[in-house]
Amino acid sequence: MVTLKICGVECYYGSVKVLEKVSFTIHSGELVGLLGPNGSGKTTLLKTISGALKPKTGIVYLNEAEIFGMKSREVARNIAVVPQNTDVNFDFTALDIVLMGRHPHLSRFKLESEKDLTVAKNVMDLTNTWHLAERHISELSGGERQRVIIARALAQEPKVLLLDEPTTHLDINSQLEIMDLLKELCVQRGLIVLAVFHDFNLAARYCDSVILLNKGKIVSIGGVDEVLTSENIRKVFQVDALVKKNPLTGSLYVIPLTLKWVKASANKKFRVHVICGAGTGTQILKTLVEKGFDVTAGVLHVLDTDYETALLLNIPVVSEAPFSPITEQNYKANLKMINEAKAVVVTSMPIGFANLLNLKAANDALEMGIPTFVVEETPISQRDFTAGKAQQLLLELKSKGAVFVKSQNELLQLLDGLEVVKGALGYEPTY
Amino acid sequence: MRSEKSGVETKYLKRFVKWTTIILVLSLFLLFSMALASTVGPMPISVENALGIILHQIPIVGDAIQGQWTPLEESVVVQLRLPRVLSAALVGVALSIAGVVFQGIFRNPMADPYVLGVASGGGFGALLAIVFGVGLSSLGLFYAVPVMACVGALSTMFLVYAIARTGFGIPVLRLLLVGIAVSSFFSSLISLMLATAGGDIHAAFNWLFGGFPICKWEYINVASPAILVCSVAIYAFARDLNVMLLGEEQARHLGVEVETVKKRLIILGSLLTAVAISISGIIGFIGLIVPHITRILVGPDHRILIPSSALAGASLLVLCDVVARTILRPIVLPTGIVTAMLGAPFFIYLLIKSRRITV
Repeated sequence: MVTLKICGVECYYGSVKVLEKVSFTIHSGELVGLLGPNGSGKTTLLKTISGALKPKTGIVYLNEAEIFGMKSREVARNIAVVPQNTDVNFDFTALDIVLMGRHPHLSRFKLESEKDLTVAKNVMDLTNTWHLAERHISELSGGERQRVIIARALAQEPKVLLLDEPTTHLDINSQLEIMDLLKELCVQRGLIVLAVFHDFNLAARYCDSVILLNKGKIVSIGGVDEVLTSENIRKVFQVDALVKKNPLTGSLYVIPLTLKWVKASANKKFRVHVICGAGTGTQILKTLVEKGFDVTAGVLHVLDTDYETALLLNIPVVSEAPFSPITEQNYKANLKMINEAKAVVVTSMPIGFANLLNLKAANDALEMGIPTFVVEETPISQRDFTAGKAQQLLLELKSKGAVFVKSQNELLQLLDGLEVVKGALGYEPTY
Repeated sequence: MRSEKSGVETKYLKRFVKWTTIILVLSLFLLFSMALASTVGPMPISVENALGIILHQIPIVGDAIQGQWTPLEESVVVQLRLPRVLSAALVGVALSIAGVVFQGIFRNPMADPYVLGVASGGGFGALLAIVFGVGLSSLGLFYAVPVMACVGALSTMFLVYAIARTGFGIPVLRLLLVGIAVSSFFSSLISLMLATAGGDIHAAFNWLFGGFPICKWEYINVASPAILVCSVAIYAFARDLNVMLLGEEQARHLGVEVETVKKRLIILGSLLTAVAISISGIIGFIGLIVPHITRILVGPDHRILIPSSALAGASLLVLCDVVARTILRPIVLPTGIVTAMLGAPFFIYLLIKSRRITV
């Protein structure tokens, strides 16, 4: 059992304090994520732990031994570091690079022995890089090179592995590969892994616990659910974010929202009900939310893109089971929601028998005296899958006074106008 | 698939054999170059005889070598030609290893043994002796210039080192910049001396161009142990130098005491350069191109790069000196002119051919 203990560490660059009273403990087999904005002290913390930087006060212990003060060789046999920038511009082969990880284990004039080669082969097998052994490091792709560098770190046979943004420049596949590898190292080899991440979702999915750092101080530390809350994210990053549970992986995921939306949401305008589907409403929903409207939507089928969007934006929705026609019950629920809106928007969604009732609901809205706007980006003839029934209903809408617009911009202008006119005259305008 | 995998491992384990072979081949080439160089002169001597005479000088092994050379031939080779040939070889060794060291520390292919201003500092010292006769009375005619050159070179290195130093060690970029500044300063002093000195400045020019006009066994006996000790000491850091090519931060994480290693290598490399300058004056290009050529031949690993560069550099300088002595016979050109005339185009050729610089 290995324990890495950071006790009250404070660091300065000149007179600028970059770490303040940082304390935590990590045990064997834990994968810990270090999160925080740029300049929050993440890299400095890693440097302090790796013994490269002397803390002004405070001590870092590995088991009982103090790290600062150990010889570099001894530190290197216990702690390996995978740096942010792993460009190597020399004609060393991948195997040469990995064997450099044996440096702290070899005495001065000794050549690498068979044992060192065995270690190198094992770690290269583990990181899936043995087939690259004789390739020059400068010829490898980013992901391959990163895996070779991780192999080099493992060749040191360390107890602690520190990584500074190990996945930042990698494609999604390489990212997952590396994260799976790190997880495996923790679980199977009992390594302590402490890694800096910029990607909340990757950290949330793989880390056992997370440290959130801001301005050199620990804001929150603990399990992913405790640390990655929208409140903490707002406090540290000044960004509003949605934190949800991914039904597939069971882990949290975080979606940052725009700053505009944060401002607008404070002071909401009137309610708009959007009838959409098949992705035609995504942009409109987002824009309306950003513009500060109180938005509702329905009826939407579960698994529909617009349904997902509505969930992400925390928009109240009347939902229907996937791929099935709207039931009478949901149709009525939708009407109830419409009744509370000041305006209804119908997007240029494809219309089949499954969602035909939505057009009928729009008709009902007009009858209730609620202004209804039909966005017609695609002509109805191209999106009518009901043998003319939808077209019929749309004509009916037009005759009852629905306003047909060609674009989202036009829609927004009219909606804003609706507000102004209503505000000035105190009655509902007729178009 | 399996046999291929074990192939990689075997290849690596057999590296030692490969390296020994490379060293052996290069040693033979050096021996041959030295024998060839010993045949050149007013008195014709055959290559076999020259080779025999050289090998005969080696203690113990030499007794087994017998040949048909005359005592006169032997004394011409041993007393007149071998000191010059050996001096060239020693300077070649020293400058090449120093070049490898500085290119390694600076991770910069343009670095050479003179980056820290050692050449102009040494030149300044030598010119003090040549032009003003400093040290002439106490050291004697033959030792005044080399000793003053060595002193000048080393003082400059320590000056540069002291200025470049910060609380956190020696940042290499800073070292490079201070080196350039100090070097320019001493160069201007050299120009000043040459401009104002009356009398014979031919000797001064000869020294600055680099060559082997005065070579004595006595001096070789002092210089060679110094070069040997420094070279072995540098070789002890061969693996550290490999790791340092990854960058200082990564090297530290791999267990290299970067600042200590850097400090020792800077001092050792400068010592080698200072000794080389004291023998031959300023010979350019050897310390720059030899590491490059050798790297292309044997790869970037310093454990083979250092000895290979030493042997290749020695051979190259011995052969350049042959050219210097023969091309405009009976005039003997300064060897430094030949190394620059051959070295610069060859270097450009390498750059064009490889289209990228490998360090």
